[in-house]
Amino acid sequence: MSNFSVGFRTTGVVQILDLHGELDAHTAADLEAAIQKCQKDNRVHILINGANLLYISSAGLGVFMAYIEEVRESGGDIKIAGLQPKVYNVFDLLGFPMLFDIIESEDEAVGKFTASSE
Amino acid sequence: MILYGAIFAICLGLGIGFHVQQWSSGETASMGMFLMFSALSGVGYGALWLFLKRWKKYADVSPVRKLWTLLVSGAILTTIAGITSRIGTISAPVLDLGPGFDFETGIALTLPTIVKMVVVSLTQAIFAFLILDQIRSFVLVKRSRSSERNWNLMIIMMVVTSVLTIMNGPGESQNDWQNVSMVIAAVFMMVNAFRLSWIVFLPFKEKLAALGLFLVLAAILVLTLGIGSSGNNLLIPGAVDYLEHYFMPLATFIGQIAIFGVLYCLTAFLSLLFHLPTSGDYEQRAGERATMHSLAALVGQVFEGDRLFATIASSPVEAGSADASWLVMPDVESGTLNQQIIAAHNIAPDRIQDFMNCTELVSDMTSSGDALLIREAAADHRLNVRSGDRIGSLLALPLYARDELIGALFSSKSVVNGFERDDVETISIFAAQAAVAIDNARLFDQQVEKERLSRELAIAREVQRKLLPQTAPSLRGTSIAASSVPAQEVGGDYYDFVKLDDHRYGIIIGDVSGKGTSAAFYMAEMQGIFQSVSRLATSPSQFLHHANMALAQTLDRNVFISAIYGILDLKNETFDIARAGHCPAVTVRLDQKSRLIRTPGLGLGLDRGDLFQKSLVEEHINLNPGDVFVLYTDGVVESRDQEGEEYGYERLLEVVDDCRHEDADGIHAAILRDLRRFLGAEEYDDDMTLLVLKWHGLPLDVMSTSEVSLKETP
Repeated sequence: MSNFSVGFRTTGVVQILDLHGELDAHTAADLEAAIQKCQKDNRVHILINGANLLYISSAGLGVFMAYIEEVRESGGDIKIAGLQPKVYNVFDLLGFPMLFDIIESEDEAVGKFTASSE
Repeated sequence: MILYGAIFAICLGLGIGFHVQQWSSGETASMGMFLMFSALSGVGYGALWLFLKRWKKYADVSPVRKLWTLLVSGAILTTIAGITSRIGTISAPVLDLGPGFDFETGIALTLPTIVKMVVVSLTQAIFAFLILDQIRSFVLVKRSRSSERNWNLMIIMMVVTSVLTIMNGPGESQNDWQNVSMVIAAVFMMVNAFRLSWIVFLPFKEKLAALGLFLVLAAILVLTLGIGSSGNNLLIPGAVDYLEHYFMPLATFIGQIAIFGVLYCLTAFLSLLFHLPTSGDYEQRAGERATMHSLAALVGQVFEGDRLFATIASSPVEAGSADASWLVMPDVESGTLNQQIIAAHNIAPDRIQDFMNCTELVSDMTSSGDALLIREAAADHRLNVRSGDRIGSLLALPLYARDELIGALFSSKSVVNGFERDDVETISIFAAQAAVAIDNARLFDQQVEKERLSRELAIAREVQRKLLPQTAPSLRGTSIAASSVPAQEVGGDYYDFVKLDDHRYGIIIGDVSGKGTSAAFYMAEMQGIFQSVSRLATSPSQFLHHANMALAQTLDRNVFISAIYGILDLKNETFDIARAGHCPAVTVRLDQKSRLIRTPGLGLGLDRGDLFQKSLVEEHINLNPGDVFVLYTDGVVESRDQEGEEYGYERLLEVVDDCRHEDADGIHAAILRDLRRFLGAEEYDDDMTLLVLKWHGLPLDVMSTSEVSLKETP
């Protein structure tokens, strides 16, 4: 039923979460669980790769808002990379680029993390 | 029945007349008279038999009760006959009667003799018929076609034998034909005498009682009719002689019934004797069936948890498969998975907890997925059984409902190795039934809860509907059309209008993130903020700033609200709007194509500091007649058709372009029409709100007085 999944990857200190499918009110809990797991493992340099994210609803956006403060307080960040134009538009309409580091390519984002953590 | 009674009475009367005539004439009657008498007697007693059959309707009573009734009626009939036959012959030896009873001489045939003869014959015939009928009800228990046939053949052969003896004199030995037919009848008697299956169903006590009653019945039969020993009948002196002299075939028939009766008594007696030791087992089976029946009935009807649990806990004991039993289930109300004793039978729950840990045992069972049988409780490390506990062996059965473990049914016996294979099987069936019953009860509760919730939601929907404007305001020079449809009962979309002063109006559209009840609460809060704060704010961005500050106190961190706030100034003919993260308004003005008003601005609640205010940029619009503004929530542009394609901004812009010349109602309808056509269905999967505002321009007189009206919205 659920057409959403989260893949885990690591590059150095960066924990990459690959989002697949549609992130809405029903699947938001999956992403929440994924971010909670990162926090538990003390991996707070979280990079969301949205290359395969097809849709995001307001409830999905809420997940980022729920965790960004905690993650930043513990010295990390949530960056978002590789969004498709239509999905980026949803982020943009709400002004997310003012709150989050939304970067085009994953490599660039990893670079930013690495630069800031050094 | 009355007919049979009448026929019998007439035949009996005529029969008596025949004997009286013989007596008074002192001569043997002629052959013709005798045959007529025979025919009358045959018909008469046949009618008596049918009469009795009709009269005695056997209710479904226990065999012992039937036997008892039979014995009592037999005793009464025999007593009547016994007393009658003794009157007047107290001093005379019984044997004297025999030879004197002679057609040839006619000496003994006196009026008292005739009376005695008739009374004895009648009582014995009734008794015999009753016996036959009663035994029939025993023989035909669990009847089959062949058992019915065997019974009927026996009766026919008995009748045939009786008819063949019609010309026999009293005491005369039987000829070959009669012997043959008698032997055939005897064979069927044997066959029928072994139909004893009803005995198996009797409980121990009833078997014992039946044993005694059969013995007494056999004794009465032997002593009254004295089979084979002519004249020597203890209870009724001369009974057989009387009968044979009265009407030979009747005597033969009754004699055969007596033989069959004694035979049946004998086989039944022996069978009862042999079945006595197995009564206990049978009673247990019966108990199991009864318990199963009550449990099955419970599955269908009882939804009071406590009564259901008590019945389940008692079932193994009631069925005789255990000495004590108890039901263990997780304590759902406290939210833990600790197993608790929900109900116990024949044992105190406190005592159970002393010797076993429910949670541990159930988790043991869950891992094995099977029943747990502890043959020697005292020797098992999982139990802490002491000698006073009377727990010799323990059986634990998991309760599964729809592949989920919902609890366990424990049974114990006071002896070691107490549970036999069939006990385990029986209790397993109870456990399966119990699981279904508990599951049903839970589903029922859930259903009740669901209905309650849906009623609550219906109320909530009504309340929310009242938070939205009931009608669009009618403003001079302006047409407005608006609608809002929640995807569920309640939603997070909001739109509203408020009169700020004599010529300015606040217009808002908002969308709380998420759907359903939580969104609806924030929507209500938004309504309160709009109605109270909008009059204090001089500009759209100032209002949104205030709203953001107010919402910051209450919004969850993962919740935000997107909104567009506009101030329509009818005097200065301006429309100022600011966008807080909301879907950009569509506007079409002058001769330009439609476009989105996408000013920067964060959603409400996304930032609780200065960033929000800094992010807002207002758009100031000088109105021209024909200007159209379309405000909407993401439910409109994100609606998807069967293939998953979104309606999107392009289609929206296009349809607004196409219908720009209509008034607000027309544009509103055109957009919804186009959307519905695109979706191919009436169902929306998101809250969907659409607000259209069209500026038509003010007539010159109005412009001079600046008088506008607004229907106050409730």
